[in-house]
Amino acid sequence: MTLKVQLEKIVGPQNVFDDQATLVKYSKDQSFVSPAKPDFVIFPQSTEEIQEITRLANQTKTPLIPFSSGLNFYGATIPSNSGIIINLSKMDKILSIDEENWFVVVEPGVTYEQLQDELNKNKLRAMIPLGVSPKRTVLSSTLERDPALAAASFEYGNDLMLDTEIILPEGDLFRTGLWASGGRPGSHMGPVRALLYRFFTAAQGTFGIMTKMALQVEYLPELREIFFIPFSSLTDSLEAIKQIQRKEIGLECFLLNRFNLASLFCKDWNIPQEFPTRNVPSEHFKELIDVLPPWVLIICLTGSPRFPEEKISYEKDALMNISSKLNINVFSTIPPLENADEYFSGLLIRPWDILKKFCFKGSVHSLSFKSPLKRVPEFESIIHKASEEHNYSIRHIGGYLLPIERGRAVHLEFDFHCDISNPEEVKQVRDLYFSCSEELIKMGAFFDRPYGDWAEMMYKRTGTYTKKLKELKDEIDPHHIMNPGKLCF
Amino acid sequence: MEAKKKVEPQYLPPEVYLSLEDIVGKEYITQERAILETYSKFSIDITGYLKKHAKDPSNIPACVVLPSTTEEVQAIVRLANKHKIPFVPFTNGQLGIANYPTKPVPTIFIHFSRMNKILEINTKTMAAKIQPYVDYGQLQADAMKVGLWNGGTPLSTSLCKISSQTALAGLYQTSMKYGTLGKNIISLKMVLPDGEILKTGSSSVDSVDDFWEYAPGPDIYGLFRGCAGTLGIITELTTKLHPWAGEKELPEPPAGRPSIRTYREDKYDHAPPPKLHRLYWVEYNDIDSEIKALREVAHSGIGIGLNAAGIYNTYYCSTTQEQTIKRTKENFFPPYNFYVICTGITSHKQLDYADKVINKIIKETGGTLLSKDHKPEVLKVLATWNLDCIRHVCGYRMSRYSYLDTWFLSGVPAVGKDAQEIWSEAINTIGETYITDRGGVDTTPFLYASDPCGRNFFTEADVYPNPIDPKSLQQAQQLMMFSIGKTIGKKIGPGITAFGASFEPLTSFFPEMGPNVHLFMRKLRKVFDPNGVCSPGRQIFTKEELQAVPPPVIEAINQLRQMNGLDPIDVSKSQ
Repeated sequence: MTLKVQLEKIVGPQNVFDDQATLVKYSKDQSFVSPAKPDFVIFPQSTEEIQEITRLANQTKTPLIPFSSGLNFYGATIPSNSGIIINLSKMDKILSIDEENWFVVVEPGVTYEQLQDELNKNKLRAMIPLGVSPKRTVLSSTLERDPALAAASFEYGNDLMLDTEIILPEGDLFRTGLWASGGRPGSHMGPVRALLYRFFTAAQGTFGIMTKMALQVEYLPELREIFFIPFSSLTDSLEAIKQIQRKEIGLECFLLNRFNLASLFCKDWNIPQEFPTRNVPSEHFKELIDVLPPWVLIICLTGSPRFPEEKISYEKDALMNISSKLNINVFSTIPPLENADEYFSGLLIRPWDILKKFCFKGSVHSLSFKSPLKRVPEFESIIHKASEEHNYSIRHIGGYLLPIERGRAVHLEFDFHCDISNPEEVKQVRDLYFSCSEELIKMGAFFDRPYGDWAEMMYKRTGTYTKKLKELKDEIDPHHIMNPGKLCF
Repeated sequence: MEAKKKVEPQYLPPEVYLSLEDIVGKEYITQERAILETYSKFSIDITGYLKKHAKDPSNIPACVVLPSTTEEVQAIVRLANKHKIPFVPFTNGQLGIANYPTKPVPTIFIHFSRMNKILEINTKTMAAKIQPYVDYGQLQADAMKVGLWNGGTPLSTSLCKISSQTALAGLYQTSMKYGTLGKNIISLKMVLPDGEILKTGSSSVDSVDDFWEYAPGPDIYGLFRGCAGTLGIITELTTKLHPWAGEKELPEPPAGRPSIRTYREDKYDHAPPPKLHRLYWVEYNDIDSEIKALREVAHSGIGIGLNAAGIYNTYYCSTTQEQTIKRTKENFFPPYNFYVICTGITSHKQLDYADKVINKIIKETGGTLLSKDHKPEVLKVLATWNLDCIRHVCGYRMSRYSYLDTWFLSGVPAVGKDAQEIWSEAINTIGETYITDRGGVDTTPFLYASDPCGRNFFTEADVYPNPIDPKSLQQAQQLMMFSIGKTIGKKIGPGITAFGASFEPLTSFFPEMGPNVHLFMRKLRKVFDPNGVCSPGRQIFTKEELQAVPPPVIEAINQLRQMNGLDPIDVSKSQ
């Protein structure tokens, strides 16, 4: 029996594809990762089917690549060694919303937009990262440690994952959290090793296929007040971030540079449906980038279920105290724009408009890494210097800084843009991207999600850690069928 | 008359002992029985006591070594591997189950009392790098001086070593805001069971600052949390710190934190809360109303801690055992009560806001605030918590008589009611070993909000058997086992945490967990401890160790399984 027939037997002939058009479609994304075609694309619809597929793949030594929305922009689902793409998008049920205890259980195909639409009915919100597509799946985004926009809050913006259900590489069903004891979900803490789930994060599916996840959701505040603090440079903003965060003011708090702000407010651009997309020339974007401040700190004070005005009031007083001490101006909009607070009020709950920046050139290549707050200027200057050396305009770099856990660390994203139909531009940006990555990593920027070429750059600098990861891989996935060619495997 | 049985001590081969002397120096190793007893003492472990009664020599290590550096630990571990001699890392023995040798062969105890320094407090990344013998109180005292703190101290007191708790426990009075210790670790430096050194977090990468808790890609730290010292030895760790609103120093007796005697003085035992902190004690008529109120407080966004201490207030807040018994019999404390800890990190106005919210919730849920107008005499006694909610000391009073075994559950707030039902059935079937065993049966179970928004609560039932009576100890074990079996059999959902099902022989005998968690954990042991020398058999048996479990133990566990509707386990066929 051929592999195709065996797959058809498991998931049904209508869910197995091997036509060239489909295979080409799954062979690439908008990243610089080299394209590679899979042998099959299949759409399982149950945990049991995935178990069967996994057992079959072990028998035939066929690579398996878990795939949900295809909206990871870093090449994580490109099949390095061919094999079978397991598209999980048909497993798209929100299995439960626990209104009393504020958590949900989702299948791997559930998207952020779908989840937030449902949560709205219960006055709850998903904690969504900035820059994900509305079609990005909640499970894979959480699993890949995309940082939520509220990551500044220790309590509400980090470690959102609770219970998980995983099919291990040899086909065994495994659960973490309370689920491990066989009953109801609701906590990452269960009978066995409370943080076991963390081993499966940022793994790009190399240690199994997650088929269910319970994750925390939060109260959807009815009342919010958003403030903006412009800065002439990233360095100038750091003391304000530190002081605001040490006083635990606000839920969301982050910085955007004028490129990103101009993209958000550009009237000519919409969120693309596909990535890469076609570029859309815009005079409005050019006008905006000329008038907007270089960097703007956005801070959102949120009301709680009881006496929301009073909660916002004491936080606002504290914010004004800091601004007065530091002699900085706090605005209720971004000068010279009007009503930016209204716009951001919607954006913070559904933060995908930033994807409009794909319209600038068609493809976006983001350097996404972590740093201590104090080293941010150093890393920014590396990027600026490299951009100058590669004749790339600094004005065309998107910038995003997200404090994590009250400023203990920051998540940084600097992105470069190019038109993929222009080979010269692609080469220029590709060279810049890799040269920046190398220099940043050499100087201590921490790429904790080592996609594509970053993997080698990072893992060659970790001795025992890499060795142990490889030994664990040999033991847990003895035939190396799970997404081979990724990370250090 | 039969001669009294003597425990035959076990010794290391002389050449191994001499090599250990070379590593740490002659003054930092011993095989003298009296010293071994002191350094390997385990205070709250039933199995250990039963071993003592049975004169089981596996209860006593062959020697204790006191290394002072990571390199010395590494050399000890490599030597142990070379000779296939088991070793057990040991701090202060707060958690008995983690400490005693688990194989009846000569075992090395590695005691960390010389590695007790705070290496760095980094105010920029809000982090502290410490050695394994640093305790919570020690770290807090230093961190508070620079306006930071570690987010809490555990129920088992601020004397616990953070490194040990990283491997196993770490639930705080303030976990509603700060989570458990597991969420507060930035990095570990470990000597693995084979002697290799592994760093987790961002420090796993050469030349990167130690500031971020995830290493590149899959997070190996996730495998270590809860491993109870079976996957390696922590020789340095970096823990998160958080903004602290209180004063730079808390009242502390000159004798230091261990001194229970001096803590009886009012200036320590009934001190006011720290600056910009307030405690609210609330009473309810029934458990359902209390659980509803707990959920509302957890969702309200106020407070840093939310806990119901149940009957255990009779220990925490009583300075003598007589007082504990009297207050237990008289139901001195309201049967359904909890407290909320509030702070003004943002400003003093934050406290005023919290005050308004808590009073509204009390009104909505039918509770009564303890105050000068309502049970002031109770409120006065509860003032012990004013400091203890931040730096816990009075938990020691639980071991005053004999606090010997514990059963943990966690889950959404309703876990409190589940726990009460299961524990009541256990006590009614098997009987209590002591009057205070009834905590969680007649009153609120001990119920702690253990993560933000109160999605997860932790509940505990403790048993106080007579340590000199083996029958009483066995009865306590039966109570625990009955409850664990009941929970797994009923699949009610709450998880049995550290002391429960993730320790052998339960891991292998309850494959329903995970499912087949024992197979996964066996793979981890194979990778990290190929020679099976690091606290062997404590958390997961090899197939061979499983086959060697004595038949009476297998029979007892299988009876428990059958009692709860589960098929017996055939060890010979077990994978």
